[in-house]
Amino acid sequence: MTDATRPIDVAEAPRSARREFLAQLAGLSALAAAGGARIPEALAQAAPADPPGTVPNEAVLAQKVQGFQVHSARPLTGSVPAQLHDFDITPNDRMYIRNNLLTPDLDASKHVLRVRGLVDKPLELSLADLKKLPSFTTASMLECAGSGRSAYLPKASGTPWLETGGMGCPRWTGVSLSEVLNLAGVKPSAKHVAFSGEDFGAVPTVPKVIRSIPMSKAMERHTMIVWGMNGADLPKIHGYPLRSVVPGWVGSASIKWLSGIDVLDAPFKGTYMDSSYRVPPYPIEPGQKMPPGAVSAEAWPVKSMITAPLPNDRYKAGGLLVVRGSAWAGDNDIDKVELSFDEGVSWERARLWAHSDKYAWRRWSLEVPINRIGYMTILARATDDKGNVQPIVPAWNPLGYFWNGIHRVGILVEKA
Amino acid sequence: MRRRSATPLARLALAAALAALGLASSAQDQLTPGPGSELTQAKCAICHEIGYVTRAPQSRAQWEEVMRVMVERGAPMTPDEIKVITDYLATYYNREGPSAAAQAASAQAAAAQAAADPLTQLLNRNACLGCHTTDKQLVGPAFRDVAAKYRNDPAAAAGLARKVKDGGQGVWGQVPMPPNPGLSDADAKLIVDWVLAQK
Repeated sequence: MTDATRPIDVAEAPRSARREFLAQLAGLSALAAAGGARIPEALAQAAPADPPGTVPNEAVLAQKVQGFQVHSARPLTGSVPAQLHDFDITPNDRMYIRNNLLTPDLDASKHVLRVRGLVDKPLELSLADLKKLPSFTTASMLECAGSGRSAYLPKASGTPWLETGGMGCPRWTGVSLSEVLNLAGVKPSAKHVAFSGEDFGAVPTVPKVIRSIPMSKAMERHTMIVWGMNGADLPKIHGYPLRSVVPGWVGSASIKWLSGIDVLDAPFKGTYMDSSYRVPPYPIEPGQKMPPGAVSAEAWPVKSMITAPLPNDRYKAGGLLVVRGSAWAGDNDIDKVELSFDEGVSWERARLWAHSDKYAWRRWSLEVPINRIGYMTILARATDDKGNVQPIVPAWNPLGYFWNGIHRVGILVEKA
Repeated sequence: MRRRSATPLARLALAAALAALGLASSAQDQLTPGPGSELTQAKCAICHEIGYVTRAPQSRAQWEEVMRVMVERGAPMTPDEIKVITDYLATYYNREGPSAAAQAASAQAAAAQAAADPLTQLLNRNACLGCHTTDKQLVGPAFRDVAAKYRNDPAAAAGLARKVKDGGQGVWGQVPMPPNPGLSDADAKLIVDWVLAQK
């Protein structure tokens, strides 16, 4: 018997309760669970279990913070909302999850990274081989292309990311991809570098998730092959033992459980290049299908979020309000962040905190006296160093990518 | 929402996950009954939860594109099945909602599903037909090939019932059959007896 209002300890729960819990994670009986009712046999039966060699969702979610929101159980996706992102560096338990397939359970001692294609010397590297190369640690942003998708109307199909949450800025430890490519010797005809991982689908007809990036981004110092996240080995859900990190670009460019690097003379041709992660070449009428000439989704446009105060928090008039948040802009830098406390009529500049690593989000804050009674809407709007400003209405697109609208948080101000 | 502290993280994360699902899923996990709903459910649920279908109603042109991409992503579907599923989705999950005629057909289909024999209900509910058919190898073996293999083996039924519940791999290739842990022994036997009777 499970009850959504009562914490469940999976390790201690009897086997049958764990099965029921798995069924719930599969999203098949949440209604029954919310009512505290026993799961109907029919619904529990329909929950497919994962095949051997995968990490169960329950083990993954046990590592996540309270307030982590599961958006889908198959494939597993989830994130924390903005108010749980009030950190310079995203801790592992708050990093978003976006699987395309299942979570593989890999043995680091047997893991091999193969470098092939347009190289002078194909390589097969163990983790130990990689760790002998010059490594470094840096904080970099990753954000799912569909982050914010649920704010688009009409709804676009795909993971229903909230306006904020499908992103994070952990500290990564590893080597520059360029270090490995230089070791292999890239041929002059090379144009793109494709990544592939060890994750697999529910049936063998499911193709691998393979994405490629242009050579210019591949050779950049901060495009990395990493084994460490926030000072420890990568968690299984985030790619243990090895993943790529293509900072500032759509998250799908960064492949978890990395085992293959293929140097190509053109962008990789495959379903995850040609049918996903593409945006129209110009704004289209909302609800229409993709026009010809769609372009690959690469760097994120400028975006920001308010991480404090908490939504719907109560304050007394006459005091000080501290507003904090983060801003980021794909390959660009943040120039300014402006806040509005009057529904967007007037704006004032927030204080940008010291610049951290190149692809880390920029933290900002502003202290303001609270003197208006009632509901106060706080808006945040960032501008990057190329003059791009967050739009009031992000352009609708069929796959729901790149939502970078203005984030808002409402608080209640009461008489002192 | 304020953070609580001092309780084991695992408990809290799991409770939160449950609560999130309670808000997010509910009625999204079953397709509206209608012509093709069972086939659609069986095929889509092989890889992803049904919320990916129900959450975002689409135009017919968009559903056709979604189906094209799902075939690319490895969904095992015949051209006839693709047509049935596309029609079903465009009828019941378009932005205007189902027409009056489609709603009437839905009521009929719901009644038919409820009146179906227990075996049919079991096969539909457990997505067996996403990967198996009676007479053709699909993702898994054809039911009649399974029957032929074990025709002279009286002990086969018990072993197969276990395999339906626990999953298996290796007899028909390296494609794993996922376990169905929620299936009762009686229901597993019902399914296996029927499979072994296929010719």
